[in-house]
Amino acid sequence: MFPTPIDKTSSATRVAYKVALPVALLLWLLPLLAVALTSVRSSADITSGNYWGWPTSFNLVENYTAIFTNSPLAAYLLNSFKVTIPAVLGAIALSSLTGFALGIYKFRSNLFVFFLFVAGNFIPFQILMVPVRDLSIQLGVYNSIYALILFHIAFQTGFCTLFMRNFIRTLPFDLIEAARIEGVSDLRIFWYVVLPLMRPALAALSVLVFTFVWNDYFWATVLTQGAHAQPITAGIKSLNGEWIAAWHLVSAGSVVAALPPVLMFFLMQKHFIAGLTLGAVK
Amino acid sequence: MAGITLNKAIKRYGAVDVIHGIDLEIEDGEFCVLVGPSGCGKSTLLRMVAGLEETSGGDIHIGSRNVTRLDPAARGVSMVFQTYALYPHMTVAENMSFGLRMNGHPKAEIAAKVKAAADILKLNDYLERKPKALSGGQRQRVAIGRAIVRGPEVFLFDEPLSNLDAELRVEMRVEIARLHKEIGATMVYVTHDQVEAMTLADKIVVLRSGRIEQVGTPLDLYHDPDNRFVAGFIGSPAMNFVKATVRDGRVHAPGLSDEAFAVDIALPPNGTDLLVGVRPHHIAIDPQGASHTLIVKEALGAMFHAYLEAPTGERIVVEVPEAEAVGLQGEVGLRMGPDRLLLFDARTELRLR
Repeated sequence: MFPTPIDKTSSATRVAYKVALPVALLLWLLPLLAVALTSVRSSADITSGNYWGWPTSFNLVENYTAIFTNSPLAAYLLNSFKVTIPAVLGAIALSSLTGFALGIYKFRSNLFVFFLFVAGNFIPFQILMVPVRDLSIQLGVYNSIYALILFHIAFQTGFCTLFMRNFIRTLPFDLIEAARIEGVSDLRIFWYVVLPLMRPALAALSVLVFTFVWNDYFWATVLTQGAHAQPITAGIKSLNGEWIAAWHLVSAGSVVAALPPVLMFFLMQKHFIAGLTLGAVK
Repeated sequence: MAGITLNKAIKRYGAVDVIHGIDLEIEDGEFCVLVGPSGCGKSTLLRMVAGLEETSGGDIHIGSRNVTRLDPAARGVSMVFQTYALYPHMTVAENMSFGLRMNGHPKAEIAAKVKAAADILKLNDYLERKPKALSGGQRQRVAIGRAIVRGPEVFLFDEPLSNLDAELRVEMRVEIARLHKEIGATMVYVTHDQVEAMTLADKIVVLRSGRIEQVGTPLDLYHDPDNRFVAGFIGSPAMNFVKATVRDGRVHAPGLSDEAFAVDIALPPNGTDLLVGVRPHHIAIDPQGASHTLIVKEALGAMFHAYLEAPTGERIVVEVPEAEAVGLQGEVGLRMGPDRLLLFDARTELRLR
């Protein structure tokens, strides 16, 4: 049997496995542990340089209350939701339509258009920083959540189209032909036949895109400034005082910022993993 | 009232013709089976009639309408797919009524039509189930039910039974034959299984590489094939073919017998090469003879298939009744009536009559 189950291997291998696994895990999780631990330290620990040692006091409640009372973190958090949810909905809605068009219709430039969507993913988005900022100013959306929603939809649709088109290609084409012979219009085929069958892909993609958009820092800092529009990823830095580094508060803010995608992942874990492997089999 | 007429129908993919100008007349209410080996274009031809494949040349009429350029939906046809093509997220009733619901038929009318179709196909107990919870045969019945509710002029079947196991296939075959009798609509049925073709068809169309080899009733094709391909394709086990030559007005076929056969067909001149075809059940085994070697015998119950090798190295299959076959072994001889032999030109493979 390949691979041989661990409990059937020699005792040396088993011991090595049991030692190496926790060590590897610890190494892997060390940065996260450090952030989590720092988020409950007192400011005295930070100033005295006690970054890695045992905290002198546990300020869990104080720190996590402070970030919400002493700074507009709640506003940043709300902005994150206001940006992420419409962006996910928009990208999914657009890409299921483009995916349907590219997956079902045979037209001359089908493959070319598809490659355009795919090729867009390979452009490093940093080089678009200046043009996108200028464009957002001209559109009058600069420094508002609409700028972020708009550009996230635009940037995510490429990847989502690739994903959706490939998923729709795996659906039996007979279903569409059967509906067509029955005289069902194309839009109704999309809505009543294809969309219900795409549910696993929709779920998986929503989770993925939610994580992508939520975790974005680049566009958040390029397109917005201030608590009225910036999402939490960009807003965390406001927890630092102008002259003093309050790393314990920044850490607490980071933990709060990381919670929604983590929760989303655990709630939708099945779909998330399905999304990563979708289309890999068959 | 709708027959189907194909007029020099051509299908072309790029520069390659896959259907080479088919002329075919299917009468109203007829059960027509398109049969041929895989890749012969039978499914493509059916999809051209359905409107799922564009017709590159010629035209297709359904009834009096020229449908060559019409959308599938406007042709008044229903199609049953090999994969059933049931919508997995809908119940049986929803599957059957989908087309009608989408086209805005009144609810009461839809319910009545679904009920009627379910009655015909004995699906009443399954109407609320999803396709996943049905067996293969039931799924195929739902697919047929979906075709029926639309009340089309023409039914198209694309290898509907090939995903079923052997037993169910026989059952569904009978079901489809009964359906045709009950509804009386024109049906076009594609299969590669010549048994299905023989049992279901009013008219069989044998196709090979995009051309019609022969059109006729099942028994016409069986008893009176036009060429070697049709003779070999129709009938199971397949017809035996051996090489032969004309000598002194007789047919000399060393693979069958040392003695020449006298036949009442006008033969070509002396020395012409022929092919002789003879069906396995038209040959009898002569245990006293010693012209052929028995290689294998297959027991099918009442009948055995005996595989023999002639001195020429040619293989012959003979159908032998159980009683005669049991003790059979070693060297045997063959007996057959000369009137059972079909003669084909060795070069053109056309039948000599």
